[in-house]
Order: sequence, then structure tokens, then C-alpha cells
Amino acid sequence: MTDLQGVLAGAMMALALGVYTFWPENAFASQREKTRLDYLLERKEQLYENLRDLNFEYRAGKYPEEDFVAQRALLEDETAQLLAEIEHLQQA
Amino acid sequence: MAAFGSFALLIALALAAYNLFAGVIALRLIATGQSARISPERLADTARRAGIAGFVAVTAAAFALVWSVFNNDFSITYIMEHSNRALPAPYKFAALWSGQEGSLLLWAWLLGAYGFVLRLLHKTDVKLYAYAGTILAGVQLFFLSVVNFAAPPFSLLKGALPDDGNGLNPLLQYPEMVIHPPMLYLGYVGFTIPFAFALGALMMRYPGEKWIRITRGWTMVTWLFLTMGIFLGMHWAYAVLGWGGYWGWDPVENASFMPWLTGTAFLHSVMMQERKGMMKSWNVWLIFSTFILSILGTLLTRGGLVSSVHAFAQSSIGDWFVAFLVIVLAVCIFTYILQRSHLKSEQRLESLVSRESSFLFNNLVLLAACFVILWGTLFPILSEYVQGTKVTVGPPFYNRVAIPIGLFLLFLTGVGPLLPWRSTSLRAIRRNFVVPSIALWATVIVCLAVGARPWKDGVFDTGNFYALVAFGLSAGVFTAILSEFLRGAGVIARQTRRNLFSAMYLLTRRNTRRYGGYIIHIGVVIVVVGLAGAAFNRSQESELGLNSTMAIGPYTLKCVGFTQDSNLNYDSEYALLDIYQNGKKQFQMTPEKRVYLASQQPQTMVAIHSVLSWDLYVVYEGTNPDTGQPIIKAFLNPLVSWIWAGVVFMVIGTFVALVPSLVPATASLRVPASLGAPTEPALRGGD
Amino acid sequence: MGAADAGARFNNLSHRLMCTCGCAQLLGECNHVGCTESGRERNELSAAIATGATDQQILASFAAKYGVTALAAPPTHGFSLVAWIAPLAVFAAALLGTILLVRQWSVGKAQATAQASSPEMDALREKVRRETGSGTDGGF
Repeated sequence: MTDLQGVLAGAMMALALGVYTFWPENAFASQREKTRLDYLLERKEQLYENLRDLNFEYRAGKYPEEDFVAQRALLEDETAQLLAEIEHLQQA
Repeated sequence: MAAFGSFALLIALALAAYNLFAGVIALRLIATGQSARISPERLADTARRAGIAGFVAVTAAAFALVWSVFNNDFSITYIMEHSNRALPAPYKFAALWSGQEGSLLLWAWLLGAYGFVLRLLHKTDVKLYAYAGTILAGVQLFFLSVVNFAAPPFSLLKGALPDDGNGLNPLLQYPEMVIHPPMLYLGYVGFTIPFAFALGALMMRYPGEKWIRITRGWTMVTWLFLTMGIFLGMHWAYAVLGWGGYWGWDPVENASFMPWLTGTAFLHSVMMQERKGMMKSWNVWLIFSTFILSILGTLLTRGGLVSSVHAFAQSSIGDWFVAFLVIVLAVCIFTYILQRSHLKSEQRLESLVSRESSFLFNNLVLLAACFVILWGTLFPILSEYVQGTKVTVGPPFYNRVAIPIGLFLLFLTGVGPLLPWRSTSLRAIRRNFVVPSIALWATVIVCLAVGARPWKDGVFDTGNFYALVAFGLSAGVFTAILSEFLRGAGVIARQTRRNLFSAMYLLTRRNTRRYGGYIIHIGVVIVVVGLAGAAFNRSQESELGLNSTMAIGPYTLKCVGFTQDSNLNYDSEYALLDIYQNGKKQFQMTPEKRVYLASQQPQTMVAIHSVLSWDLYVVYEGTNPDTGQPIIKAFLNPLVSWIWAGVVFMVIGTFVALVPSLVPATASLRVPASLGAPTEPALRGGD
Repeated sequence: MGAADAGARFNNLSHRLMCTCGCAQLLGECNHVGCTESGRERNELSAAIATGATDQQILASFAAKYGVTALAAPPTHGFSLVAWIAPLAVFAAALLGTILLVRQWSVGKAQATAQASSPEMDALREKVRRETGSGTDGGF
């Protein structure tokens, strides 16, 4: 490939890439803001996860009974409050 | 082709610049809610497309270089210096990264490839990806500026066109060298992705911790590449450099190890953030540091600041990297200060006896190790600055300081999994420690009994002592991890009436991340056993005439011939050795020395016979000029193959951890579709 | 002094000295073909051991002849001592810091605080327990 051919090939590539970049298309994905509800649902998922894990570790023998009950109560309270807020938002 | 390559690089630079500036303007407009003539979201999308187009342009440039190598276009300086006609095809690929300019181009190409995938997946979270893509464009702009202006790979040779090139450095003419550097680079470069996500999430004050889940896969894949890159490098050093070892605490090795340590710390501590919303600032800085360390590593080794066996790629681009580091650091600090209120911890620690605190100590130790290595690497420069003389910080320093830290880390690897999340009392889990402790002490006693004692002739031997501790701890950690598997599988077996093996399989499937992680830990334990074997290395050097013998360990080496050979690429001399064990001939070895014709550089080719208990490692050192007979150096290196086996476990474990977990039977996480909530299946979290 | 003893000393000392050819390898391990320094320096080391000099004297004589960089690890006096102290100091400080941090973060044993126990909240708690498989239905 001579220098001239190289430059020509480069110019064609530049043109093609420019067309691709600036092609007028309106089907672009919009940047939706995350809502409080989205956030709470994610958080719920995580708390469920933590609770399941707590149950499992208890069964695998890592917590004494009283520790487990206290931990579970704490996590369940937190999750219940979260669920209450989720329900509230969903009704609104 | 040179003109096309240079042109393609310029196009890529322009596209990266557009990607960065259009991206910044668009995100700024969206953040401030200002209106403009063009929709900011449309502008952001053109920026994203520019990133994709930029990847195409860099690919074209990389292709141009490879094409020129294969067509022996010695009018390009870089190709003249790093290739020759007789070079075998796979090594022609290696020429792409055997020098400064080519490896920077490879770096830019890999970054482009990562960015390409990221920009294609942008619908996962459009806004977060827009931020990450823009930050990525900033990094890409730097690397493309360097390859365009400071280290152009397509610069043309002045003067007459030579018939043949100088050839590839013989050290690099080895199969691993075709995959080791790209792996390592994939690791280095890959950390740009979690960095971009973390910085982006901080800039946009991302609500919640979901971004961590989004980046988890990226971080693990990157970590895997870096791990494989490091171990391939070790294997290369072992098989090629011919001194019988695999790790010399060389600045270049250290440079790859430091981001590995902070990256590993990040993979652990990020679970605290995901589960409990803790340690947010810490994690942000861990990932910033990992990125900065991978750039610093490049600066250290490429900028000629420290001397190293990897001296084949030095130049004056140091200033560019210093400037880039300063800018990155400034952006990180500025963003952090501006947004630090966003990083308040939500929760607290419940107890010292918990998985959380074990993660804290794990981070402490990994970071301490990183500091030791950074300190050791930089101290010669500091010393020259303060007292005017350079000092050497070599293996004895690291062995003394880093090995105890490593052993402490190994200890934590065993303790951590036994502790549950949140809190518990020591009393409750004391019995979980019984079996691992028995395994530990039993191993120590067995080692002492078979002669692996920390003293020799009444003198205390530190190396042997560390090896003993490492063996004992490894047994303890292995048992602890195994008991974790069994305990978990036991619960499932009871509930579902399966046998233990199928329960273990189900257990792993249900929480791939945790049990994949444990498989990685098993790999680490196996690697440690292999490393500890080095305390018992033996070596023997001897001149071997025809039919004369030398003995090492259980083997007797008998020289049955020495001869010469040559091909287009190199001349070689080698010895034919018959290896006897218990008086019987077992196998033959042919250690070799080559002189590469193009570069006129000599190179040893080690012969290695590897079994589970040790490697017989034989080097052809040359011939005695007086007698004309070959000098053979033989090493008996215990347990080396364990290192490579351990890495296989680490790789498997990472793959397991990358597989999405099965959702348990109570699939209650599904949110009714009417809510418009994300429809992706809920992932199993945990660690 | 037996030959085995001299061999062990040679092995030990050659791993505490660097080859000065610029290859950044230990003297005992420098093996690159055509090295101009390591062979001579190794002979020098063997000779020094044969004279019966102590380890310290031998190391000092190498440092005097080839510069401090011939020693594989920084000396333990003067400014170079900092090289050894800093890692220890940083590790100790970080350990102390982590322990203090853990203590400060710890809020003690979790106490189930008395929650407003309205019927709605109780129902939600019940729902959570059911859905996270606290029972024996195989979930965990």
C-alpha cells in the first residue's frame, strides 16, 4: 500500500465513522432518573438477601439462638419499614 | 500501511476528544437542567457512538501494525527494531507489545475494546454508563495522545532501507510471552472500568449501591486477567530466565503485584458496601488507588526511574505519565471533596467477632503488603534524594518484611469464612475452629517428623520456619473452607434429602459468589504450599563430560552427548542427559543454549521435568573454554507444580463466581410486573 | 571450617549481594549468558570466605568496593534504617487504627428495639419472614 492509498483509505474510514457518529437518529436511550421507589426495591432485594443469609448461617451453626433471634428481629423491622414505604409509594 | 496506521490513530484521537468533550457538556446540561439547541441526551448518544467509532479506528491502527510486521515492512522503525524475516509467526504478534510504542498501542486498543463492550451494554443504566463512558474517553484521550505525539509506532526509518530487522528480544521468544503481556495488560487496562464506574457514580451521586453489582463482573474479569498475567509471567521467568526461581521482587513484577493487592482488597471490602452500605469512601479510594497504581507501575518501569530486568521497554514518556497521574489524582480528590457527603456510611459494625471486621483486617493486611512493596520499590529513589546514594532493595528485604504479612493474610483467609455476618460471640463458633486447629497442628507435627524443621545443625533457619508455618496454616485454612462447604451442604442435604455431593453442588449454584470465592481461596492455599516449597530448594553445578554423571536428590544425571544445531532464527548448543532414578533410566532431558542470529543475543532454554513433589530443573550454562565440555546446573525445586495447579483453582473459582446464582425456591423477590420494576431475575447476593 | 560449611556460607552471602552488572539479580542467581561481573565477583566471594573473614566484614568490603548498591538489602544504620522501620511502623499504626475504628464503629450487641407494633407492621414482618424462608421450605 502506498502512502497515497493509505491516506485515502484513512479518509474513507474517517468519513464512515463520522457518519456513524452523527447519524441523525432519535431512537437513543433516554437517561431516566432513578426514583425513590427503584432505590427502595433494590434495597429490599438486598435486605431479603441478608435475611436469607442470616437464616442459613444460623442453620449452619454460626449463631447462638438468642443472637439469631435478635438479629432477625432487627433486620425484619428494617425490612418491614421499607415495605411500608414501598406500599405507600406504590399507592400514591 | 504506515500512513494508514498514523491516520487511523489521528482519527481515534479526534473521536476520543469528541467523546470526552461532548460527553462532559451533555452530562453537565442534563445535571443542571439547562436547555440547549440540541437535546443533551442526543448529544450524549453521539459521544457514546464516537467511543464505538474510536474503537474501530484504534483497531485499524493495530491491524496496520500487525500487517506491517507480517509483511516485513522495515521502513517502519518500530518493526525494524522488533522483528526480522525469520521470526516465527506467533512471535510476530508478540512484536506488537515487545516495545514501548507497540505496547502503548496495545494498551489503547484494549481500552478501546473494553469501552466498546461497555458502550454496547449502556441500556443497563443509561446515565451511569454515560458517565463511565465519558471518563473512559478521558483516559483513552491520554493514551492516544501518547501514541500520536510521544511514542508513534508508525514513525519511518531515516536513511537506507535495511534488508532485515534486528529481531525480537530472545527473552521474549517463548510461548508464554505471546499471552502473558496481553493478559497483564487486560488486567491493568481493565481496572479503568471499575474506576470509571466508581468515579462516575460519585460524580452523579448515584443513589444506592447497585452500581457495585453492575461493575462486579467487570472487576472480577479484570482481576482474573491480572492474576493470570502475573502467574504466566512467573512461569515465563521460571522457564526462561534460568535461575531456578519465578519471582525476584523486580520493580516490574512489583508494579503488577501492587494493583493486584488493592484490587483484591476492593473485591472483599466492596461486599460491606453492597450488603450494609458501609465503607463507601474507603472503597472509592481503593478503586482509585488500584487505577493509579496501575498507571504508576507503567511509569516506574517505562519511565526509567528504577532499574529492572525488564529493561526492554524504557523511554522518555515518563513526563507524560507524571502529568497524567497528577491530573487523575486531582480529579479524584476534587470529586471526592465535592461529593463526600454522598458517601456517609449507613450502618455500623455490631461486633468485633464478625465477617465485617475480618474484612477490615483483610483490607488492612492487603494494603500493608501493598505499602511494603511500593516503599521497597521507591526507596532507592528516596535514598538517592535524601542521602545522595542509591541503595538496593532486593529479595532479602521483601522476604523478611512481606512473608510474615502474607502468612497473617493466610491466617485471616481461614478465620474469615468461619465468622458469620453481623455479629456473634466467640463462644458460639468456638467449635467450628476445632477441626481446622487439629489439622494445623497435625500438619506441623508431620512436617517436623519428616524433617522439615526450622533449624539446621542447631542454627535457626528463618526460611524453613516460615515454610513450616505456611504448611500448617495451609492445612488449617483448607480444612476451614472444606468444613464451610460441608456445613452448608449439610443444611441443604437435610432440607432437600439429597446426598452430600449433590447438596454441595446446589449450595455452590445458589451462592456462586461465596463458594466461588472459597474455591479461589483453596487455589491460594495450594499456591502458598508451592511457594513454601522454595525453602527447600537444592542446586548443584558440575562440568559433565561424555558419560560422566552428577547426582541431585533422587536423580542421577548422565551426559550421553552434547551437540550443536542451527536454523534460520538461531544457533543452538545442547546436552543430552539421561536421568536415572534408583539405578533405572527414567527419561531424557535436553537443556539448551541458543544464540539468536538477528540480535546476536544468547539465551538459555531450561529443561524441566515436573512431578507433584518437585521439579528437576536443568540449565545448560555453556561450555568450559578449557575442556570444551558442557557445564550443567541442576536444581531440585520442591512443590513448584503446586503453584501452577493452584492458579487453575483460582481461575475455576473466578468463573464459578461469575455465574449468576440460582434463585432459591422461595422466589419471592419477583416484583409484580405492574410496578414497572426491573424485570431482570433477582441475583443472589451475599459474598 | 569444612567445605560444606564454606558452601553454605557462599550460598547465604551470594544471596545477600547483588550482581553489579546492572541486571538487577542476586549475585548467587545472576546467570545471564556473557555476564562480565558475576563470575569474577563470585570468585572474589569464595576467596574472601576462604580467608576466614566474618560475614559482616565480607559484606562491608563488597559495599566499599562496589558501592552500597552491591548489598541486596538496605543497611540497618543511618537513613537506610528507615527502609526497615517504615513498613513496621505503618503496619503497626494501621493495625492500631483499624482496632480503634472497629471499636468506635461497634454499637455493641444488637438490641431489638421496641417497634411500633401496629397490625400493619406485624403483617409486613410476617410477610418478610415467610418470604425469606425462615421456615423449612428449602429457601435460605
